[in-house]
Amino acid sequence: MDVVVCIKQVVDPELPVRDFAIDPSTRRQVREGRPLVISTYDEHALEVGLQLKDRHGGTVKALTIGPRAAVGDAVRLALAMGADEAVVVDDPRGPDLPGVEKAAVLAAAVRKLGRADLVLTGCESADWVERVVPPLVAEALGASCVTFVSTAEFSGNGLVVRRLADDGFHVVDVRLPAVLSIASDDANRPRLPKVKDIVAAKRKPVHVWAMADVPVTSGDRRVRAPEVQGVTIPERTAKCELLSGDPAEQVATLVQRLRALKLL
Amino acid sequence: MPALLIVATVFDAGLARSSLELVGAARPIAAGLRLDLTAVVLGPGPGLAEAAEVLHRHGVGKIWRAAHSLLTSGQTDALLPVVEQAARTAAPQVVMVSADTVGRELAPRLAYRLGASLISEAVEVGTDGHAVVAKRQVYGGRAVAEEAAASWPVVVSVKPRTTDVPEPWPVAGSVEDLVVSLDEASLATRVREVRREQADVGLEDAQVVVGGGRGLGGADGFKTIGELAAALGGAVGASRPPADSGWVPINWQIGQTGKTIRPALYIAVGISGATQHVAGVTGSRTIVAINRDPEAPIFSLAHFGLVGDYREIVPLLTAKVRELKGA
Amino acid sequence: MAVELSDEHRMIQATVREFAARELLPIAADLDQRPRYPADVVAKAADLGLMGMMVPEEYGGQGLDPLAYVIAQEELARVSAGFQTIVTVNNSLVCDPILQFGTEEQRRRYLPGLASGRTLGCYCLTEPTAGSDAMSLRASAVLRDGEWVLSGTKVFVTNGVEADLCVVYARTEDTKGARGISAFLVEKSFPGVTVGKVEHKLGIRCSSTAEVVFDECRVPADNLLGQRGDGGKIALATLDGGRIGIAAQALGIARASLEDATAYVRQRHQFGAPVATFQAVRWALADMATRLEAARLLTYRAAALRAAGQPHAREAAMAKLAASETAMFAAHKAVQLFGGYGYIQEYAVERYFRDAKITEIYEGTSEIQRMVISRSLLSRR
Repeated sequence: MDVVVCIKQVVDPELPVRDFAIDPSTRRQVREGRPLVISTYDEHALEVGLQLKDRHGGTVKALTIGPRAAVGDAVRLALAMGADEAVVVDDPRGPDLPGVEKAAVLAAAVRKLGRADLVLTGCESADWVERVVPPLVAEALGASCVTFVSTAEFSGNGLVVRRLADDGFHVVDVRLPAVLSIASDDANRPRLPKVKDIVAAKRKPVHVWAMADVPVTSGDRRVRAPEVQGVTIPERTAKCELLSGDPAEQVATLVQRLRALKLL
Repeated sequence: MPALLIVATVFDAGLARSSLELVGAARPIAAGLRLDLTAVVLGPGPGLAEAAEVLHRHGVGKIWRAAHSLLTSGQTDALLPVVEQAARTAAPQVVMVSADTVGRELAPRLAYRLGASLISEAVEVGTDGHAVVAKRQVYGGRAVAEEAAASWPVVVSVKPRTTDVPEPWPVAGSVEDLVVSLDEASLATRVREVRREQADVGLEDAQVVVGGGRGLGGADGFKTIGELAAALGGAVGASRPPADSGWVPINWQIGQTGKTIRPALYIAVGISGATQHVAGVTGSRTIVAINRDPEAPIFSLAHFGLVGDYREIVPLLTAKVRELKGA
Repeated sequence: MAVELSDEHRMIQATVREFAARELLPIAADLDQRPRYPADVVAKAADLGLMGMMVPEEYGGQGLDPLAYVIAQEELARVSAGFQTIVTVNNSLVCDPILQFGTEEQRRRYLPGLASGRTLGCYCLTEPTAGSDAMSLRASAVLRDGEWVLSGTKVFVTNGVEADLCVVYARTEDTKGARGISAFLVEKSFPGVTVGKVEHKLGIRCSSTAEVVFDECRVPADNLLGQRGDGGKIALATLDGGRIGIAAQALGIARASLEDATAYVRQRHQFGAPVATFQAVRWALADMATRLEAARLLTYRAAALRAAGQPHAREAAMAKLAASETAMFAAHKAVQLFGGYGYIQEYAVERYFRDAKITEIYEGTSEIQRMVISRSLLSRR
């Protein structure tokens, strides 16, 4: 079983509000000087891939699009956690590509990698949250697709997965090859890399591909991304009133305030 | 006249609420772009006729009806080819899909098959008279992106519970049955089992919600906040960690990957205020935060903050509320 | 010399910080209040690679440099100084001397177990009448029928209860002082080794501190560590590394004190304003932060010298002296800034205060560090 896990490096989503800013020229978040991390759910996707490898063997490759100079930490962490190798599609706009374009590049890169039974992604990116990449990659590769999967296990020739659904869980039989987007679950909490593996990650292969070397076909580019007309930070009018005193005093003040607002 | 096609579903209890929300969002777009408001309504069979009438009553003219035993909740690989068939028949300029369990898989794949433009997860959708425009929450709710479709046709997925169910607006309409041929053996994914979590807790409609986070320390903590919610006549929700850890059913989760709530009063207990959670609660009118950590980001969102141990504060508050309600 | 953290160092720091947050933070207060050896977390730490960090990979360790070790120790001690004590003793006082002075056979026999967490080590130097004056120790070892027979009582042995392997110092010659001492690798299962009194301590309460008694304990000749009579040298060389580990522990406690105090004074209101607006409070924070940073630089420097194989006895002593006094200073300030809340177990600063004190005492008191430092000054020509 060969698994490709798509990871994206994003500005730490828990960055303090005061450090969050939009660059008006790119209409995207300012990245300079901000801590970069692997997008939250992508780490869970990596964990699902690694667990499948732990149980059944095979390989796990990490795939990312981004400026080669900047994605080092994300790739390094993926390798330290246990990915066998990594591919970086070198594109300075990488993190800010719309999902539609990213999906086309990822599909072409997976094809170029050769054999992949399973492609895993996070269920959404922590920054742009379009949730379109996994289904689009699946279409371009002619693979099955299930999104918001919390657990995946082999069964016969395919997989049986648990999908988070509006009405609970769906247990879904999935044919391979497949693209799954992974949601967080206690069972796929990202492992901590062993310190030895942090050192060893340096010796694992990282392939850097120029964008031009990734053969994106017109079939990969069937969908048009929307034009981003603006990104605005909503103004916050509320200012938090920290209620003082011991718990009883705080509660008394709160009840007073809520009554004044006719909420009690 | 060219069409706007709504994807509506009838899986169990009649026309899905999210389908009716789509109608509400679609009407001004259809008017602004001079499109016929049409729909494809899918399901195993029961309730489809009634659903078509409800759609007519709310402004949908032409309806394609598709009934098949495989057109059930979550069965994307059965629903997708039928929706595609309807779209090829209706040749719409705009297709609107609810970004629910199925819709978030279906919308991108449909756009791919139609070679369409794609806007996903819209919380507001409309038209500037020329194109479909939409707003989406990005960066964990810290910013809003405004997007415009760049070509026709366009597929738009709309986040559930972001628009109200529209007022009736009856129109004359017609219903045409689609000839559906589906072969179970050909489905790449097959829902084997649907495990329903505890009946819907009414989070999305509640006027008061008490949410619990990692800070509650375990499932027991939810009993404590459950009593407060009960005293207030509200519902209980959770941020991601308790849902991930199995302290509460997954459908209690509020946030980007959970439910979006818009209550009059939201009380966040032991919730740090990760952007993931914040994205689901910003529509709350008044937010109260109870947390031990005065640095928790939730305080920058809240209107009132109580710093301290929830095990002390919440029972005091519950007692006070009961006292007031009793009086 | 400039000390810079590499990408690897930063990743190790992030990993250990996350480990401490996941595994230690939820139980740190309880481990202090209901002292017990957290075997499950030690096993997880071993799995992560924290029990033999500087042991080369060929002996089952991680092959990391002392700077990576220091960074990891600070992160552990930031959350639980008691837990970190267990780890640092295994690394610095047991793995290190075996690596440095052991035969190839001894390394192969003992290091893989110690580095993987299958076994735990302890360091048996101090005796009831030989503390700071360690070289006056009285435990004795005599050769009889090709085996060493070891007798004596060691006290204040960290990990004494749980340890499987003891590095024991005993007198093998009639000469007084350091020259008559030899070091031994004594398995706890050898006949004649018993655990005596277990101490109740002010701080670092989840690590055991015990008396270990050797009564005519027969130790194979192969278990002599280094040469006969080298014990004093081995003990001191070991402590050079150990002191860096304790300095890192002190950094962790000082940082915990500073971080908790900073958060508290921002939310605590008195006289109608956050106490963080009062100048006396702000100055206290500034002093804590400055001393912490200075101590950290000294500690990093000692680690870098050790990594480079350069002499570092004086720098290790300076690092430990500065860091331990900083920990005590910072914890003392933190308790004061918390006021009454600093004195109760509801908040962690009273634990930091109790934990901090040991760093000024073990592996050489502050007075001993000053002796080491001043001796190196006065011996210069």
